[in-house]
Amino acid sequence: MMDGASVVDVGRWAVRRRTLTRSLRGRLQGGEYTWAVAFVVPYLAVFATFVAYPVVYGLWLGSEPSLYRELLRDPIYQGTIVNTVLYLALGVNVKMFLALLLSGFFMRPGWWMKVLLLIFVLPWAVPQISTFISIHWMLNGEWGFLNNALYTLFHVEGPSWLNDRWMALGAVIVSHIWKWTPFWTLILLAGRMAIPLEIRDTARVDGATGVRGFVYITVPLLANLYLISTLLSTIFLLGDFNAVYFVSGGGPADSTHVLATLGIRNAFDIAQPRLGVAAVMSALPLVIPLVIVLMRRLRTTEVQL
Amino acid sequence: MAHLTRRSVLQGLAAAGTTRLLAFPHVAKAAATTASVWFAQGFVQDEDVALRKAVADYEKASGNKIELTIIPFAPERQKIISAITSGVVPDMVDSNPAEILSLYGWQDKWVDVSDVVDTQRGQFSETALQSAQAYNNVTKKRGLYGVPLRAGVAPCHIWRTLVEKAGFKIEDLPKTWDAYFDFFKKVQDSLRKQGERKVYGLGFQVTASGVDPYNLFSAFLIAYGGRDIVTKDGKLHLGDPKVREAAVKAVGYLGGAYRDGYVPPSAVNWNDADDNNAFHAKLMVMDIDGTLSTEVAIKEKHPEWYQHEIVTHGFGYPNDNAGKPVPSIVGFTNGLIPKGAKNVTVAKEFLTYFIQPKVLGEFVELGLGRWLPVMPALAKSPFWQNPNDPHLRGYVQQGLLGPTLPDYYVFNPAMAEVRNQHVWSLAMIDVAKEGVKPAVAIDKAFKRIEEMFAKYPIA
Amino acid sequence: MSPIRADAKAGGARVVAPPRRLIRRRRYLSHVGVGLLSVMLVVWSVAPIYNMVLIALEPEGDVFNDQLWPKAPSLESFRGVLTEGHWYLEHFWRQFANSLFLGAMVTFFTLLFGSMTSFSIARMRIRHGWLVSHAALLTYVIPASFLAIPFYRIMQNYGLANNPWSVIAALVAFATPYAIFVFQEYGRSIPIEVDESARIDGASPLQIYRRIYLPLMAPALVAVGTYALLLAWNEFLYQFLLLSTKSSMTVPVALAQFLNSDQSPWNYMMATAIIYAVPPVAIYYAFRRRMTAGLTMGGVKG
Repeated sequence: MMDGASVVDVGRWAVRRRTLTRSLRGRLQGGEYTWAVAFVVPYLAVFATFVAYPVVYGLWLGSEPSLYRELLRDPIYQGTIVNTVLYLALGVNVKMFLALLLSGFFMRPGWWMKVLLLIFVLPWAVPQISTFISIHWMLNGEWGFLNNALYTLFHVEGPSWLNDRWMALGAVIVSHIWKWTPFWTLILLAGRMAIPLEIRDTARVDGATGVRGFVYITVPLLANLYLISTLLSTIFLLGDFNAVYFVSGGGPADSTHVLATLGIRNAFDIAQPRLGVAAVMSALPLVIPLVIVLMRRLRTTEVQL
Repeated sequence: MAHLTRRSVLQGLAAAGTTRLLAFPHVAKAAATTASVWFAQGFVQDEDVALRKAVADYEKASGNKIELTIIPFAPERQKIISAITSGVVPDMVDSNPAEILSLYGWQDKWVDVSDVVDTQRGQFSETALQSAQAYNNVTKKRGLYGVPLRAGVAPCHIWRTLVEKAGFKIEDLPKTWDAYFDFFKKVQDSLRKQGERKVYGLGFQVTASGVDPYNLFSAFLIAYGGRDIVTKDGKLHLGDPKVREAAVKAVGYLGGAYRDGYVPPSAVNWNDADDNNAFHAKLMVMDIDGTLSTEVAIKEKHPEWYQHEIVTHGFGYPNDNAGKPVPSIVGFTNGLIPKGAKNVTVAKEFLTYFIQPKVLGEFVELGLGRWLPVMPALAKSPFWQNPNDPHLRGYVQQGLLGPTLPDYYVFNPAMAEVRNQHVWSLAMIDVAKEGVKPAVAIDKAFKRIEEMFAKYPIA
Repeated sequence: MSPIRADAKAGGARVVAPPRRLIRRRRYLSHVGVGLLSVMLVVWSVAPIYNMVLIALEPEGDVFNDQLWPKAPSLESFRGVLTEGHWYLEHFWRQFANSLFLGAMVTFFTLLFGSMTSFSIARMRIRHGWLVSHAALLTYVIPASFLAIPFYRIMQNYGLANNPWSVIAALVAFATPYAIFVFQEYGRSIPIEVDESARIDGASPLQIYRRIYLPLMAPALVAVGTYALLLAWNEFLYQFLLLSTKSSMTVPVALAQFLNSDQSPWNYMMATAIIYAVPPVAIYYAFRRRMTAGLTMGGVKG
């Protein structure tokens, strides 16, 4: 409960500031406004110190046009763009589509489903430095687990998976899908469970079963969540460094780099940090529109369903 | 219930701010007789122990304090680059990777250390002194920026057991270049006939990762007569027909060996450690690899490998096809002092202490001899000349007493870019995997090299 | 396989009931289908993890053999890790504690700042609040790997070099926007009238936040907390770059050391990796029900 002194304080605030600052504060008044600001200040401080300032400094580091000319001259750069686009297109869409289907699968009742879900989530829960290195070794042409298994079980000599650019890139994409599908499946599963029971029951009664049910009921209701998830996933993936770094190492012959790893390689392996910054910044024309769309989507979402 | 007013929030922030302001001067003052040193972690624990001992001895002798940070070499590389870019630097770093001496020397980022080196100038080998200098593009002069601490050379490492299994003896190895490596192809063929389907004769690092492929290619380039690709004045000589011919031959042999199936197929995607893993797993009969890390790594766990089963050539390093000795490129670890360091005095003092022959000699010996000393006099010590050790004598002969060359990036930093951007690797892989003709691959490589050298014009 | 299909039998009025034979076959096929899919999912999910276990159990660190199961499995590597028996691992427990500390702090501050900001924007409806949440999203425009160098410099300037707080700050900065987003979404399911009535009763914002908002948001807090913890646990680049000494490193950085050397005991490395994987898996297991509830963006659970 408010004590006497505070009530007086609030009153004084209101009288003093009402006319001047009404527009600024909207409907919040006095002490409440202070609270609202105080609640936001910690994050804003973190943002200013640890996001805004580094970003501005980074932009300054990467602001010389000659850097971009040099970037274009690097024979690896163009291949890297292709890789990044493929990585995004396949990585995000296959993963989200699988997540959509699997989220439906995991709606089934039964204890086995619960156990299965737990196992399925392991790839996300186990740290990626460990699993991606494990995958890198699994795929070794001579002594990797995958080829050993193929030989022992099917008497098939597997190829050197990481020796060819497209197979290595495929391996990276599959690794990413392996790791992140569980996470997005959980998100979409939650979205499905948020569909009110009445709608699901009515659909059943109306005979909207199987594929029809999926297309006419589930998809429209999940559409917004799906879209937002896809956008977020694309943005996260653009900065993803670990899959390429640990699974293919950017090889063979630097042919499977994506912009994030190229940035690090430029910065540290060839000791040209500004070139590294430029490599990553060259993704901005793609990222900014995505973020704008995402922001718009989030703003117009009044009702989740 | 606490009542948060605007006033109290502001007061709190002000207090926090002031404390921070007050704290900084304290930090600055404390740096007066403490120097911060970064050094790369060794591959075996003994190397770190050796370094710590040298630092401790210095602290006792001088009364100054050294804040030693030993960092694994890959993160250290990144930290050094970040530090120099951001301008917040330690007082001394080791040259990791080696070419930062040249690359940042070009940008005038190092403190001149001729005064330190001069205290022992007569002791250093000629190659060491050459490798400690760099061209400074700001002063347009060459300066001495590094203090040589230790060196490494790339001998051939061979599995005696596999050679003998194939029915040959190590003594059968020819002494001329092409015949030497062709020998291992015969070893592989013989082992294959015996049913060993997973052994390969040649462990050529035909990959675009790490520095091994560059060292490998350079060795072949020099052996075939292309040693003058970059001369002491920093000028590039790609137009020299001898250089071109040597490059074409080198890429032809190395890529060709892969094509013909004498190199493990996964070599194309090896990273820094994979080639050593493969060697230890007896996946290949030989490889060319820098320093004695291959041997030192298993010395404790597999003494029989060290003593008998692995051979280092060293002494048996082949001559060129005309029978003349081939000089080896030696890489150096230098002590460097970044410009902007807070305590240059102590850093220099420490380095002066460190390069006293006794101290420096002990440093490499305690590190199990993975690294070579940089002073020829130290090679005569009982440690290096131990007749019971099968590797050390040959190693020190190849890297210190025999004919040696500094690496090319010492003369012109552009060569460091060639190394880091794996220009030779890409040429080798073109020939090995894509079936490109060696001459075409070299043309492409040469074009790229010219572009890189164009960025580093030395008058 | 949506729930609608599985319940087709219960369809009723508008669907003509198919003959019993057909129903039984459909059910049989559906069971087989589920079984097949289950097996595939298990193999797919577990394979790389199995490989880790396989390598960890090899006695010699011998990654290079043909076996699908080690001929002489040994727990030597696990023992080595737990007793800090190798040079790379001599500070393992300290590093593990560092990782725990990092994870706990990142989780705590992400939840704290995220919920506070979301409370202010969505519940108290601070004017121009949307500016903050959108600015937050801008964090994701610049990928984390890009900010590595600027971050390094700035941490030096703040005197935070080699200090876990630098990594904590970076990770909190990256996790909080997502937290704000989730809290805002989840918060929609809590009617604003609850806040209003508390206000009328004379509660201060702090009280509303502590006594009403946080308890009602519990499932979302758990979900976001788990996400933040896993983010910190999974993260590599910043820890690698900002923490350099053996006593300040976290386990992922220690793991990367193994990759540096010419001859690493890979079995030790994988054993370390497996031990490192236990906390997040355990936490996920403990909180899984709350997690799903928290991700339910405000609807009724089925």
